[in-house]
Amino acid sequence: MATTALSPTTESYRRSWVLEWLTTVDHKKIGILYIVNSFLFFFAAGILALVVRSELAVPGLQFLDERTYNQAFTMHGTIMIFLFVVPVLSGFSNYIVPLQLGAPDMAFPRINALSFWFLPLGGILIFSGYLFGGAAAEGWTLYTPLSAGTYSKGVGTDLWLVGLLLVGTASILGSINFVATIFKMRAPGMTLFRMPILVWTVLVTQTLILLATPVLAAGMIALFIDRNYGGSFFDPNAGGNPILWQHLFWFFGHPEVYIVILPAMGVVSEILPVFTRRPLFGYRAFVFATVAIGLLSFSVWAHHMFTTGQVYLPFFSFMTALIAVPTGVKFFNWMATLWRGSITFATPMLFALGFLSMFLIGGISGMVLSSPPIDFHLQDTYFVVAHLHYVFFGGSVFGVFAATYYWFPKMFGRRLNEGLGKIHFWLHFIGFNLAFFPMHILGLDGMPRRIADYSPDAGWTMWNLVSTAGAFMIAVSILPFLWNVAATFINGEPVGDDPWEGNTLEWATSSPPPPHNFDRLPPIRSERPVFDLRHRHDAERLAAEEATAHAVVEGGPS
Amino acid sequence: MSRLAAPLRHPALRRARLPVLLIAAIGLLAGCGMIPPEPDTTQAKEVFNLYIAVLVMGAIVFAGVEGFILYSIARYRRRDDRLPTQVHGNNTVEVIWTAIPTVIVMILFVLSMITLSSIDARAANPGVTVEVDAFQWQWTFHYLDGDGNPDNDVSITGTPANPPVMGLPVGEPVHLILRSSDVIHAFFVPHFLVKRDVVPVPEGRAPNDLEFTITAAGTYAGQCAEFCGDLHSRMTFSVQAMSRADYDKWYAAVQSGKPPTPSVAPGGTTVKLTAADISFDVKQLTVPAGQPFHIQLTNKDSLPHNVGIYQGDKELFRGDPVNGVGTIIYDVPALPVGDYTFICDYHPLPAMTGTLTVK
Ligand code: HEM
Ligand SMILES: [Cu+2]
Ligand SMILES: [Cu+2]
Repeated sequence: MATTALSPTTESYRRSWVLEWLTTVDHKKIGILYIVNSFLFFFAAGILALVVRSELAVPGLQFLDERTYNQAFTMHGTIMIFLFVVPVLSGFSNYIVPLQLGAPDMAFPRINALSFWFLPLGGILIFSGYLFGGAAAEGWTLYTPLSAGTYSKGVGTDLWLVGLLLVGTASILGSINFVATIFKMRAPGMTLFRMPILVWTVLVTQTLILLATPVLAAGMIALFIDRNYGGSFFDPNAGGNPILWQHLFWFFGHPEVYIVILPAMGVVSEILPVFTRRPLFGYRAFVFATVAIGLLSFSVWAHHMFTTGQVYLPFFSFMTALIAVPTGVKFFNWMATLWRGSITFATPMLFALGFLSMFLIGGISGMVLSSPPIDFHLQDTYFVVAHLHYVFFGGSVFGVFAATYYWFPKMFGRRLNEGLGKIHFWLHFIGFNLAFFPMHILGLDGMPRRIADYSPDAGWTMWNLVSTAGAFMIAVSILPFLWNVAATFINGEPVGDDPWEGNTLEWATSSPPPPHNFDRLPPIRSERPVFDLRHRHDAERLAAEEATAHAVVEGGPS
Repeated sequence: MSRLAAPLRHPALRRARLPVLLIAAIGLLAGCGMIPPEPDTTQAKEVFNLYIAVLVMGAIVFAGVEGFILYSIARYRRRDDRLPTQVHGNNTVEVIWTAIPTVIVMILFVLSMITLSSIDARAANPGVTVEVDAFQWQWTFHYLDGDGNPDNDVSITGTPANPPVMGLPVGEPVHLILRSSDVIHAFFVPHFLVKRDVVPVPEGRAPNDLEFTITAAGTYAGQCAEFCGDLHSRMTFSVQAMSRADYDKWYAAVQSGKPPTPSVAPGGTTVKLTAADISFDVKQLTVPAGQPFHIQLTNKDSLPHNVGIYQGDKELFRGDPVNGVGTIIYDVPALPVGDYTFICDYHPLPAMTGTLTVK
């Protein structure tokens, strides 16, 4: 940290610690704020998940009445999606992307701070329904006419709408900031095709946010007008159409799924090369696949609406299935990166490998659901709940934990304990599958989602019990994680600037980086500038060896 | 051949054999649960076959990819500090592996469309047509007998405590017209492997419909599948499938059992109760002991409401529903002194519960 002298603020005056964090415009501090804030919401929504699972463990209403149950799963889903997964990934992007670009900060640091501070505010508004007669209870999708004034009178639903509008505004502002940063702030030498793969996924993600969120915002404003000012956008008795809401919601909602998964794919694609010491196989194909997924994601929204009887099934079914192609390409790229690598299994790598296996299951169940006749059976059952958790949780959240273990040393100069990390991973992994795999079976058996109770004669008791046990195992797995974070802060060993032998520019500066990020940058000649620097001699030798080997074995370069 | 066999002799793989076997066993067990209920309509059988085909495809993809990953991480764990070969890509294999998912997707899509057109076909003359009216939070099954006079149609309305039974004949196409007067519901019978949303549609738009031919007699559980508010979980019903002869008997019995509209005896106390927005306007009624009395229920909702009188769990009186806006006067037999509960059987919520004091 010999370089802080270059930063005028730290030299000239010292602000109080609290004020510093409240007013910071440093992308790294804002990134950490995002991450901490998101984890707090994660724990809140996780507790709601435990409430839901406890109620469902056995037939009969033991702890809650129906309305409280409905509020619990609505808040659980809303908070998990809008205040945990999306913001936590934005937080990591906020911290890492400028570093990976070799930039001193985001393009608009003040807007960056503003878009963060909207989040806790929006989240508190959404939760505050509990204080004013009950939180929203219409599911995270808030379908009309159930969410219309006639059927949901409570102010909780209005607070939900207003809170989410704030969160949505924050994402739109943030997305403009990311796109500007990525296009305008790259270090000399970093062409588009030398950007780290995480930056590519963030670029596509933020473009999706920019295009999709305004549609949801418009829908929410229309619904707010319906509820409070006598509008009738969605009222079938006054010339409106309730299905219109579903179109608006899912036109946003499906890209949202990719908003949540693409950065996690980016994280995994950063981690696999580091822990295999191989470049990401097919970097360009991976970029094109990411862009293709982004484009396709705008033409599949109605696959959430197959059973409404108001969509053209062949088109949406075909486009949905088509997404398997770029996703398949990515899988092959990851597999080929592992092949003949030199693999180590530090905790970030375990979570990345967990991501591959769990997201694979979520992808396959998604293919099953893309077939309309099968979807007619499985729509709105626990099969869908299983599918969405394999994607959101097995995919994105495993990615989030991989990112946490991987970049923790960058952020704080200390590495999380590996032993505790492995305990966390295995409890998490086993608990996750116990909690969610049985839901496939329940759904196939016909158990609908969003029900507070089920009959003891339905034959669903055993798997529900298993699932609840798994949920508590996930909760237990969080304890070693929290302990690990606390213990590392208190007496973690400093591990230097680059403990994992990283590939990308964030590892070319100190850990934690100085406020202005870099004193000097290595030359950027590929998507792995730090790798190139570390192995400049090996690389030349290898290239020479490979050239001869290929010439002999295959008769030419491939 | 020897190239293929060589990696299996690797010590890392021998060590990995037990976990691999364990995972395979768990996978097999889990896979066995991944089957829908036995299909009991002609349409369901086609969906079932399609599902099995897709499941097999999915299982192969899973086994292939997961197997590859597990093999790689066992085989290529780091053993020394040498840098592995730095392969950045290979156009040939990348084209091939773009083609593989494309082919799988095409097969899946074509199979789905074939099944879809077959299960969506509509019979010219269905054996039975039932109008299914969903409301918060139960169902009315309204049998359309085609004689143009709705007064003698059979109509069965359930309550959360007493879900309705839909009798249907086996072996004939059954046509359901799905109507909702409030929010979106969904008609779902797991053994028929089908559900369809019941959507309140604007004037002039056709409601959704559903058609199937049941293949086996039996009782099938069904339930609302689209979240519809507080008591969504209690919108259950059942389908009782029987031979045509049994069905005709069942239908006649239900028709004759139709309670005649009760005539109101003159005299006695009348208390008034209004139901609007799924709540009663008063929560406390008082009537004299030892003599019959009347309850006048005015329904301002488009849903059915009624009044039931209970002492603890014991039902003492159950009024017929007022289906939609209207008024009914119930004749209630004399009750001894005490506190009773009155409740709407269709909406057993705090807002539709009150105390009846008899003194
Ligand atoms: C401890 C971990 C978790 C458990 C035990 C859990 C459990 C559940 C259960 C049982 C439901 C179904 C409730 C119902 O339909 O009645 C549900 C719904 C949902 N969960 Fe989770 N979940 C967990 C984590 C997550 C995470 C990490 C996410 C997202 C990133 C998530 C997103 C959702 C969403 C979007 C819904 C749908 C809510 C709705 O139907 O409106 N969950 N969860
Ligand atoms: Cu979608
Ligand atoms: Cu319903």
